[in-house]
Amino acid sequence: MSWNRREVLGGLGVASAQALLWAFGCSHPARPVRHALGEVSSEIRALLHEAVETLAGAGLTAHALAVSRLRSTAAIDVLGGGVAHARCDGVVLTVQQPKGTREQVTSALSRDGVMAAVRALATRSGTGRVDFGPAPRPARAPSPDPDTITDQALLDSVADIARRDTVQSSRIVYAAGMIDIDDSMLWSVAANRDLEQRLYRVRRSLTRVAWNGTRPIVSEVSRAWTGGINDQLFDDAEIAYAREVALALMTPTAFPDGEHALVLAPNVVAGVIDAAVRSLLTTTAALRPEVAQRLAVGATVASPVLTLVDDPTTAGAYGGFEFDDAGQLASTMPLLDKGHVVGRVARGRRPGHVGPIEPASSHLRLAPGTVKELPLDDGFWLEGTSQNAIVDPASDRVVIAVQRALEIKHGKRTGRVFADVEVVGDLGPLLASITHATTETQTVGIRDEVDGLPRWRSIEAPFLLGKGLVRSRRPR
Amino acid sequence: MIDRRSIAGRLETRRVADYVVIQRDQELGVVDDLGMRRAEHRTRWQITVHVDMPAGRGSAQVTLDALDGDPEKIVEEAVALAEHSVGPAWATVPAAAPARVELTDPALATQESIDVVADGVLKTLPRGGATISGRATVLREHVMVSARQGFHAEWQATHARVDAVVALGANSLAIWREARRRDGLDLDAAITDALADLKLLAVAGRPVAGPCALVLGPDALLHDGLGVWAAFATQADAVVARQGLTRYHEHVPVVPGADQIVEPLSISSNGALPFGVRSAPLGDDGAAVRKFALVDHGIAAGLGLSPREAALRHRDPNGGVRNLVVELGSWSGKVDATAGRVVELRRLRALEIDPYTGDASLEIALGIDGTKPFAGGTIRLDLIEALARARRAQTRVRRGPYDGPSTVLLERAELIA
Repeated sequence: MSWNRREVLGGLGVASAQALLWAFGCSHPARPVRHALGEVSSEIRALLHEAVETLAGAGLTAHALAVSRLRSTAAIDVLGGGVAHARCDGVVLTVQQPKGTREQVTSALSRDGVMAAVRALATRSGTGRVDFGPAPRPARAPSPDPDTITDQALLDSVADIARRDTVQSSRIVYAAGMIDIDDSMLWSVAANRDLEQRLYRVRRSLTRVAWNGTRPIVSEVSRAWTGGINDQLFDDAEIAYAREVALALMTPTAFPDGEHALVLAPNVVAGVIDAAVRSLLTTTAALRPEVAQRLAVGATVASPVLTLVDDPTTAGAYGGFEFDDAGQLASTMPLLDKGHVVGRVARGRRPGHVGPIEPASSHLRLAPGTVKELPLDDGFWLEGTSQNAIVDPASDRVVIAVQRALEIKHGKRTGRVFADVEVVGDLGPLLASITHATTETQTVGIRDEVDGLPRWRSIEAPFLLGKGLVRSRRPR
Repeated sequence: MIDRRSIAGRLETRRVADYVVIQRDQELGVVDDLGMRRAEHRTRWQITVHVDMPAGRGSAQVTLDALDGDPEKIVEEAVALAEHSVGPAWATVPAAAPARVELTDPALATQESIDVVADGVLKTLPRGGATISGRATVLREHVMVSARQGFHAEWQATHARVDAVVALGANSLAIWREARRRDGLDLDAAITDALADLKLLAVAGRPVAGPCALVLGPDALLHDGLGVWAAFATQADAVVARQGLTRYHEHVPVVPGADQIVEPLSISSNGALPFGVRSAPLGDDGAAVRKFALVDHGIAAGLGLSPREAALRHRDPNGGVRNLVVELGSWSGKVDATAGRVVELRRLRALEIDPYTGDASLEIALGIDGTKPFAGGTIRLDLIEALARARRAQTRVRRGPYDGPSTVLLERAELIA
């Protein structure tokens, strides 16, 4: 019995089906031609200026956002390697109205396409005068320059990591490495605003799958950042971790369901924080009366150990940016201060930079704690998430699916490892139970899709010590 | 510029065994109560190419979301990709006539701007009795398909979706409906049901663990679209079946004894259901969509077959699993007083189904334990077993991609608090 490779990776969220379709089995087709960004940047800005001025002539206050996005995915698995490319262009014209906004969107990044969108918005013609302020500095290109990176170089960078895994095991039934790059060039033009930025988002992942009894154990390590493709590489310990977790023999006896002291690894914490912020700490979530009541500004909703900010200015953050999709410059937004609600995510982000705007986080930072090691005597160390955590905004109920629970007795691992458990209960008490956080933090990058459009965000979190109800997810 | 004819023309000059080019010209309107009004015009391309090589047949499917591009280069990439993705040899069966199915609502396919149409849909959302924040999304599309040897088909389609948060007092529920026709959204009933459930939520207690009989009401049954019935859709995936990863095999009972019960389960896929949200004349791989049985009187009867999977099995393709039609039962909806504890699930917070085993976890948003409403708790079920033996209501509900009994009764379940 073998697993469909696409399903294994797709289940992990490693890549979209489209990317995998391209990535697997194919050689390396030529990279789609995109004009040198430096050459077209001034043309596109001039086009957006014309659009905003024409709309101003019709008495409308407008914002124009243009994106040229190129996705490159290189993957190598047990059957070979391949590279995929996909391109998406778009322009969003937004005009203010007495009660909200009106948008016209086109996938034609050309004068004809943009002016057709302008005509759809403007009821009368004319050209207004708009002061756009100083011209932007040219967007910074990552190093090495993406235009110099060949498809073969991408494959080589994946293969180099695979070669460093020198320990082979016949129990590993599937192994894959991948690098996934979203190279987005963005232009934002409005009155007193003329901006451009290049977001070069990189994700690397390493996957190992081994059977354990009748179920596959899937192990993945990943890194995600904004910057050059070689800014971050897996170290030997991470490569060994991916292999050893897949090969670890799971304890066959039933998990002792009940309330336990817990260490939550950063990838588990990141899953909870991400789900909680999306469900509870955005301006749209606050439209729900339960959320508005429970999470009013000033309310105590978590332990004093927890301080959370959304900080797109963090250097190299996968979810970071210089300006958001509403054209607002990046700034830090405090959300929790020592367990108290102090703010909500309100910044506008668009899936794929062209989808409908929605309040969404960028780079969430859960503040590190003060201890190097967590004082867990008896309990479980929870690590790895197999699916998104569920946070119900109506009830505060949380279900966190966890891949592995490592038993700890008298401060040491017993060697017993349980697969597929879940932390369940109310989010408030779970967060209130946190007593310690480590000084060490790890960062998790998330790329998911809505209507085929990608959303990028990241979460930086420490290890946390708390307690909660943990139970097996497997039917008895 | 990308142009369908030029892509098809270039493919005809290549030594490809078969190809399908699908162009979707789409207008997408989104309007919400927070003041957003959005109109989008886009063209999406899907190019499927098959090449015959000495080692077998190679296939590739390429999707593009742009207007600007070189058709020659696109074709070159697709063919190169197909040549490097070679699997077992198979031959394309002659093209069958596209399914004849109505997909366009004149109320949505008007001359008006797409955002105006979306606004009209949002205005049909009933507002009385609660605070409602809604969003309407309307899609109008013109689909054009070109395939080898001059095959050509095109059709128009409309689709509407409404998402809303309904708040009453201190409680709220998120609801959504989708349909090909504006009238098919049935928003009045959706809001009425939500208001009734919000009143129950206001007095809901905590769940009590233990065994029970379980009634799944329509909102729980169809959570997120197909709801619990999605377990059967995965089992009818021909690729998964060929890999031996399905729970059961064709021509055998879906669970032991499933064909021996009084009202055995029958489920069919109907992609030609008029105004079905998953109906279409042709599938994404160019195959004609056909109605077929997934489960017939408790016995696994068929699989969703792409041209490739069909050819490998020497059958005709059917366009894959589309709208699910579940045969009604004779259950009146009344529960035998001797049945013991009965829990009715009104709404779920989440539904997770293992696609291979059919094991499911149902997180309860609102249930009624006897006469007492409660919120919270979990039910774990073997959905294949449970639904094969479930009693199905004689009343029908048609919602989204589902057409079948409005409720089902499962005689044995365990509520986990």
